[in-house]
Amino acid sequence: MEGILGNLLIGFIEVFKLQAVTFSGITMTLPFNIIMCLIGCLLGTLIGVLPGIGPVATIAMLLPVTFNLSPIAALIMLAGIYYGAQYGGSTTAILINIPGESSSVVTCLEGYQMARQGRAGPALATAAIASFFAGCVSTLVIALFAPPLAEVALKFGPAEYTSLMVLGLVAATVLASGSLIKAIAMVVLGLLLGLVGTDGNSGVLRFAFGISELADGIGFVTVAMGMFGICEIIANLEQKENREVFTKSVGKLMPSKEDFKRMVAPILRGTVLGSALGILPGGGALLASFASYTLEKKVSKYSHEFGKGAIEGVAGPESANNAGAQTSFIPLLTLGIPSNAVMALMIGAMMIQGIAPGPQVMTERPQLFWGMIASMWLGNLMLVILNLPLIGMWIKLLTVPYRYLYPSILLFMAIGVFSISNQPFDCLLMACFGLFGYVCVKLGCEPAPLILGFILGPLMEENLRRAMLLSRGDPWVFISPSKPISMGFIIASVLLLVIVALPGLRKKRKEVFVEET
Amino acid sequence: MKIKSQQDWWAGLMFVALGLFFIVFALGTPEFINNIVGTKLIGGYQMGSSVRMGPAYFPVVLGGLLTLLGALVLFDSIVEEGSEIAKFHLRPVLFLGLSSLAFAYLLKPLGLMLASVALVFISAYGGHEFKWKEVAIMAVLLVIVSVLVFVKALSLPFPICPAFIEVCPIR
Amino acid sequence: MQRLLVLFFLATAANLAAAQSWPAKPLRLVAPYAAGGPIDISARQLAAKLQDSLGQPVVVENRPGAGGNIGVDLIAKGPADGYSLVMSAIATLAINPSLYPGLPYDPIKDLRHVTLLVQVPNVLIVTNELPAKNVKELITLAKQRPGKLDFGSGSTGSTGHLAGEMFKMMTGTFMVHIPYKGSAPALADMMAGRIHLMFDNLASALPSIKSDKVRALATTTKARSSFLPELPTLDEAGLKGFDMSTWWGVSMAAKTPQPIVERLSAEILKAMDAPDMKERLRNMGSEAPTIRTAEQFTSFVASELKIYTELVRRSGAKAD
Repeated sequence: MEGILGNLLIGFIEVFKLQAVTFSGITMTLPFNIIMCLIGCLLGTLIGVLPGIGPVATIAMLLPVTFNLSPIAALIMLAGIYYGAQYGGSTTAILINIPGESSSVVTCLEGYQMARQGRAGPALATAAIASFFAGCVSTLVIALFAPPLAEVALKFGPAEYTSLMVLGLVAATVLASGSLIKAIAMVVLGLLLGLVGTDGNSGVLRFAFGISELADGIGFVTVAMGMFGICEIIANLEQKENREVFTKSVGKLMPSKEDFKRMVAPILRGTVLGSALGILPGGGALLASFASYTLEKKVSKYSHEFGKGAIEGVAGPESANNAGAQTSFIPLLTLGIPSNAVMALMIGAMMIQGIAPGPQVMTERPQLFWGMIASMWLGNLMLVILNLPLIGMWIKLLTVPYRYLYPSILLFMAIGVFSISNQPFDCLLMACFGLFGYVCVKLGCEPAPLILGFILGPLMEENLRRAMLLSRGDPWVFISPSKPISMGFIIASVLLLVIVALPGLRKKRKEVFVEET
Repeated sequence: MKIKSQQDWWAGLMFVALGLFFIVFALGTPEFINNIVGTKLIGGYQMGSSVRMGPAYFPVVLGGLLTLLGALVLFDSIVEEGSEIAKFHLRPVLFLGLSSLAFAYLLKPLGLMLASVALVFISAYGGHEFKWKEVAIMAVLLVIVSVLVFVKALSLPFPICPAFIEVCPIR
Repeated sequence: MQRLLVLFFLATAANLAAAQSWPAKPLRLVAPYAAGGPIDISARQLAAKLQDSLGQPVVVENRPGAGGNIGVDLIAKGPADGYSLVMSAIATLAINPSLYPGLPYDPIKDLRHVTLLVQVPNVLIVTNELPAKNVKELITLAKQRPGKLDFGSGSTGSTGHLAGEMFKMMTGTFMVHIPYKGSAPALADMMAGRIHLMFDNLASALPSIKSDKVRALATTTKARSSFLPELPTLDEAGLKGFDMSTWWGVSMAAKTPQPIVERLSAEILKAMDAPDMKERLRNMGSEAPTIRTAEQFTSFVASELKIYTELVRRSGAKAD
């Protein structure tokens, strides 16, 4: 423990270190690292708020700038962009129902409903507080347990991931508040849409119909902007009389005492869930917010409020999401394995600076390792300080008449989607998914389960096929006693399916009886 | 047979249709249809075995599942009372779609400024009221913001001016 | 006829004039992959350098899709005015022509190859649990247990996959190919002992080798790598002539005026020789390439194309 404190001290000293900086000919002595942390957080918040522009593209574009920085300053800034974007992403999700990142899909569900009831302030504050708490705890987790946890990550092979995905998909059906069968169907449809593009195993192009732009599959951002963003604008525009989408009174900025009471337990559970799943490099962090939502909906006393703006549905997933985002640094820092595209970029940034990512970083360059960890905590603090006062401004934005608001949202979405691969096709696809989303809403099918299926589909197929290849076609590999983790997930999935399906079945049977008599 | 839930009926049909669509495109058209037409209509992909699953394996299983679920929803729609389908509003759908397409296809030839103006005008026309002056002011403001934020601050590789202008004054 | 001659003359004159005033406007450098990969990163490094030396902005544009084919095709079919460049690589120039039937461009006829930027060896690494301590023992083991050893790779048709196929062919062994999405997850499964070996890019494998998470047996290039000087090459270990590496460089449309190509090639070489750039390229695992001029690069592309066409055909990998 003392060693850890000493190490953290090294980190904080590194972050606050005064450096002589020459900028346009003028040399100044500044705590340069902490300034880079602030710049990263600000930039991250900006791109998080803008729909469609993600941290991956931004970090890639900023890489050349980092060449001239010291390794620690560069990494601190890039990490700041990453978790800053997580904070900013929830703002867009809550205010205008657009998930810019896969992790904020869930925040849309309850957060946007809260905003429509004039509770955008408490929703945003909850998101910021939950993220901050989770960020603090998970940073501590990294500092204390990174190496042993990395060993846990290695226990997850293709079979374990496949079973985890199955559990995630079963849990996805809980995301919908309407019909269970339709929700499952939407998950399956999402899985199928995720398969469009080049098949990783054989290299065969599937369901691309000769369109070369589809060769790399359909982008998450494109689907999310279409099915959430465009669809939401259409739905708002169709209300002729009631032109204001949000209630006139913006209400209070801060959560009430009651709100605080209700968010404590979800935040704690979300943090644990997120920290645990974030360690898994093969898509664990993706599941964190979904898993937390499912958990809250099942254990909460207020489960009837879910889908109508339950604060637990913001607090839990937001903390899970941020905790997962932080602990996904563990495989990077200890094994040199990136768990997502941003982490892969961080590896790129480290290698350019001549640092080979891996376990030796901690011992060979303690300043760098612990400095980064200290900066993560400080960054989270900065973000919460930055975000709470911003809430007032965001809420003002909602009082802008919708006829000004929606062309702006649309423009930002179009720019974001276009920038993914700099071609018009993605915008066309976004418009198509907007139309499809609108049809789905009319038919009582909710988009959230589809999105989760879409994210998990390729991951699940990939792991399933790999597991079968490695086991030479033995289907028992998923539930064999030699793979206890996988077996556990499958059992949990079956249990969850029973829990989810039972009330529905009972209800239906009752109705059948009523009809017969 | 009476359809008791229009919503479920159409949703079910959609799922069945999409499920079959994926199955057919994964497996290719069945032999007898090929024989009638005289040529292989849809090539399809390889099924593979459970050891080395082919590219068709997963889609066929999922497509089958989707078809089955769609059938269940269809069954529901004739057993259980449900909601009607709310009215479709074509105007916003049309103009929002059109405006994003206009933006996408005009961006390279006409530059970010004009493409943004096009998007703002077309999408604003899809709303309830369209006041020329208001929209024009909004367009100008949004052009300034997007040039500053996306091209200047985030350095996206977008042309600002139309391609026919040799030297763009803003760069 | 006369008119034609005049036209021809005018065109040549315009060409020359264009070359003299080049560059008069911003250049674009297409990276045919999503932002953030090693090729994209080196494109951005190069762009920053060229921007300084040419005095015009060099804008990096990501045009991902179809294994890089879309971005390369864009330049191959685009204007040959000397303002459009593409990051071309072993995948798009040597492997994809035989992997993707109906490739829209011809890597030799439609493109001018300007400079080779990066050349990284692959390394043969095995999981620590495998008893084989060197290449010879690995071959013996593979022969004892045919079809029991699994080798991972970043994707079907990647250099890692094809190096594995080459190894199988030259040693007459049979191992099962397990494709991953990128080499990082394959490396993780290898550390955990779920797959037995892989041919990974030196840059991505180096940290795990250095920290003893996996064991390196050989490099795939003819010459040893200066990063792991004690490590033998496959050629030394008995697989005579085994020489495979991952490489990428800069190409332009085929009809780009010669003076521009020469000027650009010189500028890129100058940028590569700058100490900071040299350091960064080395950090990506790249030795200073011996192939320097545009002519050398062009003939290198031709010879690689021939090798991989044969290898892809024999391995049976195909993307429909």
